[in-house]
Amino acid sequence: MLTVFELALRSMRQNVKHYYLYFFALIFSMSLYFVFASLQHDQAVQNMTHTSVAFFQIAGVMLIVIVGIFTVSANGIFLRRRSREIGLYQLIGLSKGWVVRFLLIENILLGLGALLVAIICGALVSRLFVLILLNLLGLEGIVGISFSVQAAFKTLMVYLLIIGVTSIQMMLMVYRSTLLNLFQADKRPDLSAPPKAVASAIFALLGLTLIGYGYELSGHIDKELFPNALLMLGSIIVGTYLLFHVTMRWCFYRFRKRKDGHLGLTNSLSIAPLMHHTKANANSLALITLLSAMTITLISMAYSFYYSVEQETRRDLPYDFMFENDQQEALSFKMELEKEGIDVNHHVVQAVLTTGIILDPNDESYRFEESLLWLPAEHLKQTGADLNVPPDGVAILYNAGASLAGDLDEHSKRYPTEIVLEQHGQTVMYTLRTLRERNIMNLNAPGSQLLVSEATMDKIAEQMAGTPDYKKIHFDTYQVPDKEELAIASSLYEKYDNDEPLKYDYYAQYKKVLELTGLLIFIAAFLGLVFLISTGSILYFKQMTEAEQEKQSFKTLRQLGFDVDMIMKGIIRKQIIVFLLPLSIAILHSIFAIKAASFMIRSDTMLPAFIVIAIYTVIYFVFALFTIGYYRNIVKKAMS
Amino acid sequence: MDQLNVGETVLQARNIHKTYGTKGNAQHVLKGIDLRVTRSEFVGIMGPSGSGKTTLLNVLATIDHTTDGTVLIDDADISKLSNTALSTFRRNKLGFIFQDYNLLDTLTVKENILLPISLSKMSKRKAESQFTDIANVLDIKALSHKYPHEISGGQKQRTAAGRALIHQPSIVFADEPTGALDSKSASSLLDVMEKVNQQRGVTVVMVTHDPVASSYCSRVVFLKDGKIYSELYRGDKTRHAFFNEIMDVQAVLGGDHVDGF
Repeated sequence: MLTVFELALRSMRQNVKHYYLYFFALIFSMSLYFVFASLQHDQAVQNMTHTSVAFFQIAGVMLIVIVGIFTVSANGIFLRRRSREIGLYQLIGLSKGWVVRFLLIENILLGLGALLVAIICGALVSRLFVLILLNLLGLEGIVGISFSVQAAFKTLMVYLLIIGVTSIQMMLMVYRSTLLNLFQADKRPDLSAPPKAVASAIFALLGLTLIGYGYELSGHIDKELFPNALLMLGSIIVGTYLLFHVTMRWCFYRFRKRKDGHLGLTNSLSIAPLMHHTKANANSLALITLLSAMTITLISMAYSFYYSVEQETRRDLPYDFMFENDQQEALSFKMELEKEGIDVNHHVVQAVLTTGIILDPNDESYRFEESLLWLPAEHLKQTGADLNVPPDGVAILYNAGASLAGDLDEHSKRYPTEIVLEQHGQTVMYTLRTLRERNIMNLNAPGSQLLVSEATMDKIAEQMAGTPDYKKIHFDTYQVPDKEELAIASSLYEKYDNDEPLKYDYYAQYKKVLELTGLLIFIAAFLGLVFLISTGSILYFKQMTEAEQEKQSFKTLRQLGFDVDMIMKGIIRKQIIVFLLPLSIAILHSIFAIKAASFMIRSDTMLPAFIVIAIYTVIYFVFALFTIGYYRNIVKKAMS
Repeated sequence: MDQLNVGETVLQARNIHKTYGTKGNAQHVLKGIDLRVTRSEFVGIMGPSGSGKTTLLNVLATIDHTTDGTVLIDDADISKLSNTALSTFRRNKLGFIFQDYNLLDTLTVKENILLPISLSKMSKRKAESQFTDIANVLDIKALSHKYPHEISGGQKQRTAAGRALIHQPSIVFADEPTGALDSKSASSLLDVMEKVNQQRGVTVVMVTHDPVASSYCSRVVFLKDGKIYSELYRGDKTRHAFFNEIMDVQAVLGGDHVDGF
């Protein structure tokens, strides 16, 4: 007599073979979690980045959520697949309690096996991930080999969570389903009633409208950021759900009704089975769309940040080093550089600081007096700056923080405008032609940076000399062309910078931001990889299960005189719908989401987003190809 | 109705052998069978379990290959056809009805029936009229938009029959078509098959273990141990008389239990 335990062991041994993908999924999610936890607790990572704790904590929660969604979906698919087996146990007289016990033992053992493999695999690859991370951060660290007990403990917790959730799911499934629906699980469609014409049409349109509304919102999300972002997210999520649950179903239903029975083989193998599993398909397709959109947006944004670090830092700090009215220190710094044999370009820029008012053509009463820094274009050109000399009497405002201050909006009609200078009750006007989104002097230079010709500046100096806030400023700028020398120069500069709380040395700032965004891109990519593989696997599992269920249909079709190629045509059409529909909607969603989020970043997000979408699509299609390959095998076997 | 050449040969099987397994463990299922089926015949194949009825049907119906011997359908040697050609051949010339219906659960009755002609170049109007004809004969017109899980076993089998007939095949093969039906549904299906056979001149080859079912046939072939044991022609006999004759042969053959009349 077999005990429950022995039977579970036996069935498991077969299931490991049969459900290798589920087992693989468990291993995969737990080992990635282990790697993640190892990184979080890695001494090297913890020492080197200060903001890491918050990033890692948020990402850790997201990781657990996706691992949860993934295992629950996979488990749901496998329970459905085994519904006959579960029914059979009950049919031969075993109680529901026994079946639940049996499934639980099997689940716990399967999970334990996966946990063990996961920790071993995770420990092996986590070093690799540390290396990738340090490389991304531009840090050089010693990668020691250590096994993180803390990470193993956390992974154990995740294992318990997964087992807990899947066990509840199994109990619900066994206790709630009757024998009849266990045996007829595949025969009946999950939604048999045809959609109600009017209600469906309304909801179908509502889904599209909500998505459209969300897209529209994405265009001006930076005004009242929080409520708008929530509204956009909400309407796109509900819209997507309606799109798959109602709009898609409604379209299929209309299409099929119009065909009036003359469906044809290809549609019989694509649209008909999709409609047969409408509810389950709609749920998973909506979930996959939203997860994919989230992943693409997340990685695109992180990559945009990382990608633009150099450019962004340059906007703020056009010169590697700058000294303001301190020629002694500037000289001693230069001597030190020369002593080290560092090649350096030194240029002097003579500027003038005054106070004045930049008028707002939209608001006559606006008369806010501010510091204005007049910089001569001829001097700047000598430093190698890329700019043109404006005509006499005309100024151009340079402000790297303009878009963050909301000042760059084309519709604001803020520019061109006039600058008013007052001297001894006498007013002089200068034309301010436009605003450019970068600095022409390092961020720490005082006043709003205005580019003028040298002649104009001299005229202003002459006029304004003697006013209370008038000041002549002598800037010493340094550029170190060689990157390695720049690093040494930066460390030499440190002692000239120590009275400042913030660093205005290009290289130090660059390194600081690079570390932060490097960590961001690493975590985003890590999460994205888990999301992508999870969603891909869910689709693959589902299609695998459907392929198994359709075996008999393929045998029947063979008898009706259809060959493998004819059947594959229908199957490929189905896979195109199943894979391409969520992907294309997700890409569309993410394009709008990136657009909405791009106010956070001054550089172009297009190219990084394009690269991310391309990579995502390629990996996603690998899953589609695997699925089609699996299907082809099933069809061939069924037909031989 | 097309002009029928009654007496013309539709299917000709010569010296068919079928062996399963490898040399040491070979199982000789069919041991040299000769069979000729003429246009609009309704042939029943009977025999005890393991006599090779279903194997014979599969071989005749191009689903399985012979080990030796030839099968000609409409003068085409099916053992010489490639896989692709066989598919086309099945699609154009053959119809099938099985014990467990083999309908596609995801398709409606009408979609199931129209499936075999989905790749043909038939116009939609012609397909529609053909479907209407057959659905009326089979009395399933009202079920057109129902799914298999919504209809009874007898209705499913009539749907399967509709699918087997829609493309006007040269020959319809039926493997225990009444096997899963209650006696009322079984006799209504057999009535329909008889009607189709007589009115439309459709040639039918049916494997059954049920003497009631085979009493609808115009000829019954008895198999025993992979060989033809005997043949009975119905001629002008009543169905009841033919049934009694079949029972007599079966009593001699033995092996299979008999479900009464």
